[in-house]
Amino acid sequence: MQTLENVLRKWEPVIGLEIHTELTTLETKMFCGCKLEFGAEPNTNTCPVCLGLPGALPVPNKAAIESIVLAGLATNCEIEKDTMFYRKNYMYPDMAKNFQTTQGPLAFCMRGHLDLEIDGKGADERYGIDDVKVGESFENITRCEGGYVAHVGITRIHMEEDAGKMVHIGGSEGRIAGATHSLVDYNRAGTPLMELVTEPDLRTPEEARRFMQKLRQIYLTLGISNCSMEEGSMRCDGNISLRRRGTHELGTKTELKNLNSFKSLHDGLMYEILRQADVLDEGGVIYQETRHWDPSAKRTIVMRVKETADDYRLFPEPDLAPYHLSDEFIERVRAKLPELPDEMAARIKDAYGLSAYDASHLVEHRATASLFDAAASLIPDDASASQRALVAKQLANFIINDVTAWLNAEPDVDLASSPLTPERLFELSMLLVDETISSKQAKEVFTAIIDEDKDPREIVAERGMEQVSDAGAIEAVIDSILAENPDKVDQYRGGKTGLIGFFVGQCMKAMQGQGNPKLINEMLEKKLSE
Amino acid sequence: MMSVSSSFAHMGIAEIHAGLANKEFSAKELTTSVLSNIEENDKDIHSFLEVTPDLAMASAEVVDARIAKGEFEQAGILAGIPIGYKDNMNLIGTHTTCSSNMLEGYVSPYTATCVQRTIDAGAIPIGKLNMDEFAFGSSTETSAFGPTLNPWDTQRVPGGSSGGSAAAVAAGLVPVTLGSDTGGSIRQPASFCGVIGVKPTYGMVSRYGIVAFGSSLDQVGPFSRNVHDAAVCLNAISGHDPLDCTSQDIKTDFTVGLDRGVEGMRIGYVPAFLEAQGLTPEVRRKIEEVIDKLREAGAELVEIELPNAKAAISAYYVLGPCEAFSNLARFDSVRYGFCDPGHADMGGQYEASRAKGFGDEARRRIMLGSYLLSSGVYDTYYYPAQQVRTLITEDYLRAYEKVDCIIAPCAPRTAFKFGEIADPTQMYLADMFTISINIAGNGGMSVPIGLGDETGLPIGAQLICPAFKDETMLRVAAALERIYGPAEVAPAFALNSDKE
Amino acid sequence: MTQHLTESDVALIAEYTRIGMTPDEVARMTVDLNAIIDSLSPITEYDLDGVEPTFHPIGTLSNVMREDVVGESFSQQTALENAPKQQDGQFLIPAILSDGGDR
Repeated sequence: MQTLENVLRKWEPVIGLEIHTELTTLETKMFCGCKLEFGAEPNTNTCPVCLGLPGALPVPNKAAIESIVLAGLATNCEIEKDTMFYRKNYMYPDMAKNFQTTQGPLAFCMRGHLDLEIDGKGADERYGIDDVKVGESFENITRCEGGYVAHVGITRIHMEEDAGKMVHIGGSEGRIAGATHSLVDYNRAGTPLMELVTEPDLRTPEEARRFMQKLRQIYLTLGISNCSMEEGSMRCDGNISLRRRGTHELGTKTELKNLNSFKSLHDGLMYEILRQADVLDEGGVIYQETRHWDPSAKRTIVMRVKETADDYRLFPEPDLAPYHLSDEFIERVRAKLPELPDEMAARIKDAYGLSAYDASHLVEHRATASLFDAAASLIPDDASASQRALVAKQLANFIINDVTAWLNAEPDVDLASSPLTPERLFELSMLLVDETISSKQAKEVFTAIIDEDKDPREIVAERGMEQVSDAGAIEAVIDSILAENPDKVDQYRGGKTGLIGFFVGQCMKAMQGQGNPKLINEMLEKKLSE
Repeated sequence: MMSVSSSFAHMGIAEIHAGLANKEFSAKELTTSVLSNIEENDKDIHSFLEVTPDLAMASAEVVDARIAKGEFEQAGILAGIPIGYKDNMNLIGTHTTCSSNMLEGYVSPYTATCVQRTIDAGAIPIGKLNMDEFAFGSSTETSAFGPTLNPWDTQRVPGGSSGGSAAAVAAGLVPVTLGSDTGGSIRQPASFCGVIGVKPTYGMVSRYGIVAFGSSLDQVGPFSRNVHDAAVCLNAISGHDPLDCTSQDIKTDFTVGLDRGVEGMRIGYVPAFLEAQGLTPEVRRKIEEVIDKLREAGAELVEIELPNAKAAISAYYVLGPCEAFSNLARFDSVRYGFCDPGHADMGGQYEASRAKGFGDEARRRIMLGSYLLSSGVYDTYYYPAQQVRTLITEDYLRAYEKVDCIIAPCAPRTAFKFGEIADPTQMYLADMFTISINIAGNGGMSVPIGLGDETGLPIGAQLICPAFKDETMLRVAAALERIYGPAEVAPAFALNSDKE
Repeated sequence: MTQHLTESDVALIAEYTRIGMTPDEVARMTVDLNAIIDSLSPITEYDLDGVEPTFHPIGTLSNVMREDVVGESFSQQTALENAPKQQDGQFLIPAILSDGGDR
C-alpha cells in the first residue's frame, strides 16, 4: 500500500458518518412500556408491541421525542415541526414486525452542524493544511494555532427503534457465517434509537473520530444516552469514497461497518482510503458494497455487494398520529439544555485563565467537567486573578492527569458519589499551592482520599506530612548534611554540580520527606556556592 | 309452554336484563342454554371457530353473584349478555386464528381493548367467530377452516369478512357480536344476514388487539338484532384508549335520542348510487321505498352528490393491500404462527411457511401491496390514492353541509351462492357502496329493511353519518326499525321452526 | 388488459415478500395481479395537482404520546408461548442466509 501522503496528493477522501445512538437513559422503549435494561434475562422485557404480536399498536414515548429535539438543539439543527413516522419494510428475524418504524423524508432534526477542533498530529492528515495561514479559511476549515477548525454539516437526526439481538450458534466464534442456527432475544427490540447522518463533509479519519468524540460528549452532557460503544448503545457506520483531487463528482462509496471504537473508526477509514486508492491507481473500480472492519487483521472485508438500491417500501405509519410540534413544546425542551461542552470550555477558559488545551480536555467528560466546576467555585471571590489561575491550573492538572488515570483504571466508578468530593479536591490543591505538601505527597494524599474516604488535611495530619518550609529548620539540616559529607562538598565545588540531587535527597531523608524540596534546593545551591 | 332455552334466541339486551333483574333466570342458566343452542345449531352454519364455555360460565357466575348481592345495577351495561368476537380479536387464553392456517393453534397472550371493555361491562364471552382469512373477502369463503353458511339459506354465503359475526346473530345463537370493517366487512354481511351492523367512525373504538388488515381503514363495531342493543354495545366499547394513538376521546351515550324519530332531519341520498351498474333492481326498489318512508316519517330527503366515490374502490384496493402487505409481514414463523419444519436455512423456512400459511387471497393482497409500494410505483398509485382520499373526504364534508345523514344501498345485491363469484375483481364490487366510508373514516351502518321481492333474502339499507356523529345514523336506524321491525332470527333458526 | 407485471416481476415480488411459489402459481398470480392493477386505473386518471394526501383519517389529532413510565411485560414463558421453536429462553431459527448478513 502507498503512504497516505502519496494518496492525498492525487485523491481526496470524502467521508460521511451514520451514527446510531440508543436513548439508554430513558425508562421505557420507544413504542411500549417495556423497561430498557441491558443484560436482562432473554425476552423478559417484552410485550405484544415489541414482540410484534398480531393486533398490537405502538404509542410513542414522549421523553424520547424530547430527547431527540434536545439532541437537535445541541447540534445546531433546525427542529422540523411537521413530521411523521414511516414504516421501513424488510424481513429480518430480529425485527419483530418485519418493518422498522422510522422517519421519512423529514426528520425531527434537520440541517445542523458541529465545528471540530483538530490539533496536534491529527491535523497533519488534512491535505494542504500547512499552506494555510492561521486565521485563514479554505474549504470547510479555518486554520488556527496548532491545528484547524472544521465545519461539518449534519443532514438530519431521526427517531427510530432498535432491533432485537441474535446469537449465532453451531459455527465458529458466534459468527453468522457457518452457523447452523440463531437465537433471537427481543429485549432490545424497540429501544429508542436516534440516527444522525452527516453531510459528506469529512476529509480525514481524524475528523471522523473527532466528530464521533464530540457528538458523544454532547449526548453525554445532555444525559440522553450512556453512549457505550462497547455495549453498542452508540454505533457508527462510515461511508467513504475517493475523488480525484480538484474534481467535484463523488466517487463510488463503500459502507464501513464494525467501527465500534474511536480507534476502529479512525483505523478502518484510514485502511479504506489506502485500499481504495490502490484499487483506483491500478485502474480498478470500487464496488458499492458493505465492508466489515476487522480490527485484529487490520483490514476491511466485503460483507455484501449492493447490486441495486434497497427498496424498503417506505410509507407513512398509519398507526401513529402525525407530529405538529408547537413552539411551546420546543421551547420547553430548549429550557432543559444544559451548558454544552464548547460553551463550558469557553467559560472556564475565560473565568480561570486556563489554556484552550486544558479547557477542552476538562470538558471532555461530563463528570470531570462537573468536578472541576464545583471545585473551582470554591476559590474565594476575593482571590486575585493570578491566585485564581494558580489554583485552577492545579485543579485542572489533578483532573486531567490523576482523576482521568483513576477513572480509566476503574471505569465503574461514579465520580459524583465517590470520596473525591469537590471540597476535597479543592483542599488538596490549596495544600499544594501554599506549599504545605510537596507534589509527590499530593499524589499520596490523592490516593488516600479515594482509599480511605478522608479529608486531605486529616490525611496530611495523620501522616505528619506537613511540609517544612521554615528556612531556619531547613538551614540546620543542610548544615549538618554538608558537615557530614565534606568530600562531596568539595567535589561539587570542583564542578560536579550533579551532586545537588544527592544533597537534596539526604536533606529530605533527614526531614522524613517533609522538607520543601524547592526551598531545600534553593538554599543548598546558595550554601554550596558560598 | 315455551322453553327458556329457545326463547333466549330471540331476546335482546333489554329482555335479558329484565329477566335477570326479575330473577326469571340466572346468568348461568342463560349461558348454559346459549352454549347448548350453539352446540345443537351452529353445525348448520359454522359461525363459531371456538366456543369458550369455561370463560363463559365463569363470567356468568360473577354476574349471578352480583345479582345475588343486589348489585345488578352495578354489574355493567352488558351484564349477562352473551357475546361472540370475530376471530381477529385477541382474548387472552383463546385461539385467535383470523381463519388462517398461519395462526392455527395461536393462543392470545393478551386481550384486545374492545373485548376487555365488553367483559368489564359484564358481558359473557361465548367464543370466536369465523371470518374471511385475515378479513380479506366478502363471503367468508376464504376461511381456512371452512365457510360460514347464511342462516337464511345455507346454499348462500353470509357475506364477509365478518360472516361468522353476522350469521351467529341472525341464527339467534347470541344477541350481539363484534366484527371489524375495513371496506364493508361489518355492513355487507349484516345486510346479507338481515341484522344490524355498525361500522363506527374511525377512531371511535380502539383497534388495540385487533389483528390489523388496513390500519387506516379498520374499525370495530357491533352486530345485533335491534338498534338499542347496538347502541348499548357501542357505549361499552367506544372511547379513548391510551394504547391506540388513533382512538379519540369521544364520550357519547348512543342510546340517547333513539326514539326521537326523523322529523325535521335532513337525509341525503345519491341518485348516482341508485343508477350504479351492478345494483340489482330489488335492492334499488327497496332503497327507493325506504327513501319514501323516511320522507313520510317527516324527514327532508335531499339529493346529494359524492362525485369522487366512484374512485373509492380503486383507492381502497391500493391502500388496503399496501397496509396489509406491511401488517402481515410479521407472520414469519419466528415468534409465532405456522412454521414449516425441516429447513436448514431461514430463507427456506420463511418461504415455505408463508406459502403454506397464507391462502390465495392473502397472497394476492400481500404481493399487490408490495408491488404498489415499490419504488417508482408508489407515486403512481399509493400517493394519488391518499390524495383521492382527501377528495372523497371533502365530498362527504360538502354533503354534510346539506344533510345530517345519508341513506344508500349497503350491498348491491342479496346473498350470493357459494362459488358464484370466483373472479377477485368481481368479488371486490361487493363493497362498492361501503368502501368510500372507510376511505373517509366516517361512520356507516346496515339496517335490515325486509326481504327482496325477487330473492326473498334480507336486504340492508346503509346509513352514513358525519365523523363522530354516529348517534345520528342510529337515530335514523331506530326510526326505520319502527317501520320495518327489528331484525328477525332467520326462519330456520326461529322458534317453532320446522327445522329438523 | 395492460401487462403491468411479467411473470418474472411477480417472481421477484414473491421473493421479496418471502412467499415461496411454484412457476404455475406465479403464472396464475400474474394474471390476477394484472387484472387487479387494471381495475385501479381510476386512481391514475385524476388531476391531483395541489391536492394534499390524507395519510391519517383522524382529523386534527396529532402529537399522540405516552409518558415514559414502565408498564407490564411478559414473563419469558409467556413471550415464548407461541414460539414454533425455542432454546435457552430465546426464539430458535435455522441459519440466516448469507445475503441476510448485512447488519
